[in-house]
Amino acid sequence: MNYPVWYLPETGGGILIALIAIFHVFVSHFAVGGGLYLIYSEKKALREKSEAIMDFTKKHARFFILLTMVFGSITGVGIWFIIALVNPAATSYLIHSFVFGWAAEWVFFVVEIVAAFVYFYMFGKMDSSTHLLVGWIYFIAAWMSLFLINGIIGAMLTPGIWAENMDFWAGFFNPSFFPSLVFRTFIAIMIAACYGYFSAAFSSDEDIREEMTSFSAKWALAGLLLAIPAGYWYLTALPEPALALVMGKSPTISSMIPYGLVGALLLMLVMLVTAVFRLQKNLRVAAVICLCCAFLVIGSFEWVREAARRPYVINEVMYSNSIKKNEVAAINEAGYLQSALWIENRELTSENLLLAGEELFIQQCYACHTLRNGANDIASLTSNMSHRALVKYIEKIHQIRYFMPPFVGTSEEASALAAFLVGELHGKPYGKEPQQQAAAMGALLFEDHCSSCHAADELVDASHGLEKQEIDTMLLTLDEISDEMEPFAGTDEERGELTSYLHRLGNPEAEAAALPPDGALLFEDNCSACHGPEDLAEAAEGLEMAELVAMLRSLDEISDEMEPFAGSDEEAEALAQFMSKPMAKEK
Amino acid sequence: METLFIPQPDTIPAHWGWFQFLLLLTFPLHLLAMNAMIGGLVIAIAQHLGGGPVRRQLAHRIALALPLVIAFVVNFGVAPLLFVQVLYGQFVYTSSILMGSYWILVIPILILAYYGAYLYDFKFKALGAFGPWIALVVLVLMLAIGFFFSNNMLLMALPERFADYFAAQNGTILSFRHQEFWPRFLHMMFGALAMGGLFVVLLGKIKGYENKDLRIHSEKVGLLVFNLFTLINIGIGFWYLLSLPGPQRQLFLGANTMATLLFILAMLLVCVVIYFGVTRRFWATLATAVLLVVVMTFMRAWLRSSYLQDHFTLDQLQLVPQYSPLVFFLVTLVLGLACIAWMIRQTMLAMD
Repeated sequence: MNYPVWYLPETGGGILIALIAIFHVFVSHFAVGGGLYLIYSEKKALREKSEAIMDFTKKHARFFILLTMVFGSITGVGIWFIIALVNPAATSYLIHSFVFGWAAEWVFFVVEIVAAFVYFYMFGKMDSSTHLLVGWIYFIAAWMSLFLINGIIGAMLTPGIWAENMDFWAGFFNPSFFPSLVFRTFIAIMIAACYGYFSAAFSSDEDIREEMTSFSAKWALAGLLLAIPAGYWYLTALPEPALALVMGKSPTISSMIPYGLVGALLLMLVMLVTAVFRLQKNLRVAAVICLCCAFLVIGSFEWVREAARRPYVINEVMYSNSIKKNEVAAINEAGYLQSALWIENRELTSENLLLAGEELFIQQCYACHTLRNGANDIASLTSNMSHRALVKYIEKIHQIRYFMPPFVGTSEEASALAAFLVGELHGKPYGKEPQQQAAAMGALLFEDHCSSCHAADELVDASHGLEKQEIDTMLLTLDEISDEMEPFAGTDEERGELTSYLHRLGNPEAEAAALPPDGALLFEDNCSACHGPEDLAEAAEGLEMAELVAMLRSLDEISDEMEPFAGSDEEAEALAQFMSKPMAKEK
Repeated sequence: METLFIPQPDTIPAHWGWFQFLLLLTFPLHLLAMNAMIGGLVIAIAQHLGGGPVRRQLAHRIALALPLVIAFVVNFGVAPLLFVQVLYGQFVYTSSILMGSYWILVIPILILAYYGAYLYDFKFKALGAFGPWIALVVLVLMLAIGFFFSNNMLLMALPERFADYFAAQNGTILSFRHQEFWPRFLHMMFGALAMGGLFVVLLGKIKGYENKDLRIHSEKVGLLVFNLFTLINIGIGFWYLLSLPGPQRQLFLGANTMATLLFILAMLLVCVVIYFGVTRRFWATLATAVLLVVVMTFMRAWLRSSYLQDHFTLDQLQLVPQYSPLVFFLVTLVLGLACIAWMIRQTMLAMD
């Protein structure tokens, strides 16, 4: 809201971040672990006085420099570029809060560059102890980069007390700092060993192929096995909502975890078979498989870590759509269109309803949802919903789905957003429902005929306990109540609307009780965000009413993403009835 | 009056003077490395295409240095970009988004160019006559990045253009049609060419006692390039000055005493540097030219604050002080520099 939104409706910024970030972490963890790998590979060559291993180490160092110095470092800058474009408010917040952390990371980046170049170009030209020392300087500088970035991105997931006091050190050494650091260190070693395995497998020297794939495999297995308890430690450091998302509440995370697990298991298996037990010698294929597995492990980990922050981009501080948590109440009061900076349609009118709705979509939904295309297309996600159902859904979106931020703004703005989504995208009606229209008409008539002398509140008692017929008669004989009033002179229809309005004022419970629960409406309000009526007809087939009601009351047992139906017993029955024959009902 | 769209800045943890100091300390380093890269590339291409063993040797030496230079262009660019985001985040994030679809292209273009530079270096001999064409592609890609940077750095100083966002939300707004753009961009690039000449002289001096021909040739070519393009750049510099909007131009012509003194100092340094260059006193030329680059970056900073002063001045940034992280950074910097000095010394010892 403070910054403009770079709007590519069919692509979305999230996918661009993911593309750059996942490839970056795959190489940047290599840049950390690879330093250690090179040192121990060189030490092995020195210990065994092996020219061949030294030669392999040098060639691997060249591959290392080409990959980490170019692709690794530039995609690192690339992440900074893309997050500043996609989420400038959060980027600015992190840059300003942790500027000296970033600046210190820059110092280690300079040291890394110098050390990497000296290490590579001075191979064989420097005495080996100095050369190894340069290797250690490289590794320590690279690990310190990890140390610093780990502190800052950890604060985004587990801010702890930093969310309140903004103290640099409290944010940096946040609750997940150490588990994450240890976990990443082991993963970095594992990834670096997979790259080492890859280099060795493609060596033209058969002895090196055997010797160094085995050496690499032991490093990879050690890294992977040590990462398991570190990963568990990391999980225990997560706050309860994030842990719930990781354990099944988030569909994004649930769909990604299996890839990481399969990657880890396959990696372990291939390393054991080809390098430790040496049952199979088709090393090049194994090397490619191992790299792909390592990519799956780190990719799914980063994906899960990012998704576990939802609905926040900076946990407890700023929602994914850049709205700060502590500003929500004020914006709800003043209206989003009035509060945000980059808005064209500040006043809602019937003419600009869809345009304002689109602006609200861009500012509040586009951070995660694309339009008409892409992975999280809002058009397909809302295709079952009516305007009425969508408004209700938007207003309680954060309660229904914790990982989505709350809609921030007035109810008229929520209605405008829903109007854009159902009207513009699906061509469905988005005007007020007949009941709402009648209520609006009654309020308008009250405004025109009564409000010069009476406030609506004053008439609550006057109409309490009266039947509609009595109010209607009273409106025709107002002059009998007071000389100052004239009988209501509008049309019969208008009198009917005003009568209903006044009756509702004094007797809200009677009004509500008069309407039996409507299964179709209940379905729209509670189910249509995810299900079409025909889908549920299948699920309900063959079930008795009592079984259906029981199922509605225990939806959380079917899926972690659902909550049990929370309406009254009458409503549960009406909904069950609708579900059992929705198509017939529609007809 | 038209509505201005300027975001609220975030708070800063130390006095803004610290960030301005660090920005002005690191930005000249980026410029010097960028100059060595652009100027070096142009000279390498020309020398390589020119043919002959010494020219070819010079091109090869530049090719060898190029990946290292690019690494430092990037690294020395990171620090000033960080500090400019701290000081002027509300402007630079906005302008980056306004040109987002181009701005993000900087990354793939840079990766491509960087690998091209490694190709030119590692395969210099194998590429043969094809080599200079690879270098030319690298040069064009790097110039494209410079073009996008110039667009962004100018656009961030023009907040009255920010409302254009509503007509193009897909990040395709550039500022090259602004009267100041082309002289600004060309001044920077011709300056890079000139400084690249001095970089080439330096490269010739590495192990110059082993290859006297190369040393003499690189000094001749480098100083010629420096003198020629510095003279041309004086003309472009005046074009740049004249292209500035009135108040900004006047800033250096008497309206602001300090800015005017800085401008006079820069003009004096230009005279001195040309004198040293023409009389072939390399080290004096290099020292004066580096000083001139530093003075020019000060003038550039002045120009930016002048553009923005109606909307924002740095003292408006809200300070929420916490100085211990600054101390941590300074200690890290000192240790890092000591480490680098040790490694360079060990390298020199090993090479001797």
